[in-house]
Amino acid sequence: MRDRTQGLVDTRIRPNGIARVVVVAGLMLMVASAATAGERIPFAARAGLDLAKDAARSWAQDAALVYLENDEPLDGSGASGRWGYLFYSPTLEKSRVYSLRQGKIVVAEYLEMRFEAPPLASDWIDSGAALAAAEHGGGREFREKHAGRLGTMLLMRGAFAEDDPDETTWTLIYTAPDGPSLFIVVDASEGKVRRTWRG
Amino acid sequence: MDRTRDRRSGTAHAHAWLTTVVAALGVGVALLSTVPAARAQEVTEVKVERVKPNKEDHPTLQFLKANRDFIRARFDLLREKTTARQGDAADIDPRFLAYQKMLAEIQTARESVVVANSQQQRLELFASITQLGTLETRLDVMERLLAEQRARLGVLQNDFTGDQQTALLVVVTGHPTDAGLGGFGIALDDREPLSVALSPEQRATLERGGTVEVFHGFVEPREQVIKISVTGDRWPASESGYATLDPTRDRLTLLRLDLSGMDAGRGAPSIQASTWLHSAGTPSGDR
Repeated sequence: MRDRTQGLVDTRIRPNGIARVVVVAGLMLMVASAATAGERIPFAARAGLDLAKDAARSWAQDAALVYLENDEPLDGSGASGRWGYLFYSPTLEKSRVYSLRQGKIVVAEYLEMRFEAPPLASDWIDSGAALAAAEHGGGREFREKHAGRLGTMLLMRGAFAEDDPDETTWTLIYTAPDGPSLFIVVDASEGKVRRTWRG
Repeated sequence: MDRTRDRRSGTAHAHAWLTTVVAALGVGVALLSTVPAARAQEVTEVKVERVKPNKEDHPTLQFLKANRDFIRARFDLLREKTTARQGDAADIDPRFLAYQKMLAEIQTARESVVVANSQQQRLELFASITQLGTLETRLDVMERLLAEQRARLGVLQNDFTGDQQTALLVVVTGHPTDAGLGGFGIALDDREPLSVALSPEQRATLERGGTVEVFHGFVEPREQVIKISVTGDRWPASESGYATLDPTRDRLTLLRLDLSGMDAGRGAPSIQASTWLHSAGTPSGDR
């Protein structure tokens, strides 16, 4: 299969072997018990949007959301303990990220690179719906066949939708311990799978 | 039988007493626990530290940072192109339509007041009791128009001033007795430091026990460290303190820096700092 990662780097840990799978399962159990105790409750991407937007508006009135990514591992419903929301201000020509956990901003920092990204469409589907579409579109099969897991969910415009680069899309990246990752691009307005590839 | 009844009655009394005492204790404990909580909500003491507190490191946007060159290159694909989408107009906010109606009502009310005023001037020429009654009616009309105007102002106030953003107001009170005060430096997280030089009038205000505003602006609703520095004859330039604040979202947080107990020996940490939330709601239009 042709490598279509085009230089993409996977930053997540790849589990290797049964022992690691057991460790991961244990960690998931710990996360589940922590959630029960009221600690680090995973949430869908939209749940933190209002607070992030409020913070961005305090920083720059023209700030617009341009990128979104999970900052901590995802669960089976597309929720994460922490999400990072990136805003861009054309007047300030700066990008600022807010990382939210449990209804609080735990990181607020400038992105130390030029990132003049276009604003996201406002009607994007939530991470849970995007994950459900991706699971039906090959994600589940990949996980089962390759002992894979969902590593990254990101929302942006222009990066992975070759047919319509203006479209806001979710990109889900599944990793496997012994093979290339699976990329699934989901249309963020209709929830349809646009592209899948291994790389 | 009677004795049994008495015993039962006594037991019932004892139970009643016990229940009352336990309830009273419960209420007392509840009151004791709520009073400090209520006070704590009103004003919170803030510690001004000599050393900047360390923040926990949370990596964020790891995929973006690892693949930034690729992603930036992909943005080049974004280009203008003709599409067949229909450009439907969005719905107009009904409030904006209502404002037009309100403006028309204001104009009508103004004209009514002018007419009433003109008639009132004419009526002043007459002194009969009957005509005074008419004057009273006219005054009632004017009062009603004023009440309607207040109601309209209330609507506008709710629509606009009700949209409070997260903001911080820093005020200074007190005056150090043993050193001259030149000004302040306030530096919020990731922002340019702000220098405030005190004018002689502001210094006099502080000496008289007044309050001086040194910062008022929007802030991010998150925990952040504010660097506070004081300048003056006996304050070293590097003398700074750090206060950690967590401004509440969509509220105005006030930070008061009380300098009355400040001395050059202890420096900025001797500033007494406290915060509270501005609790004033939108005033009623009928007031």
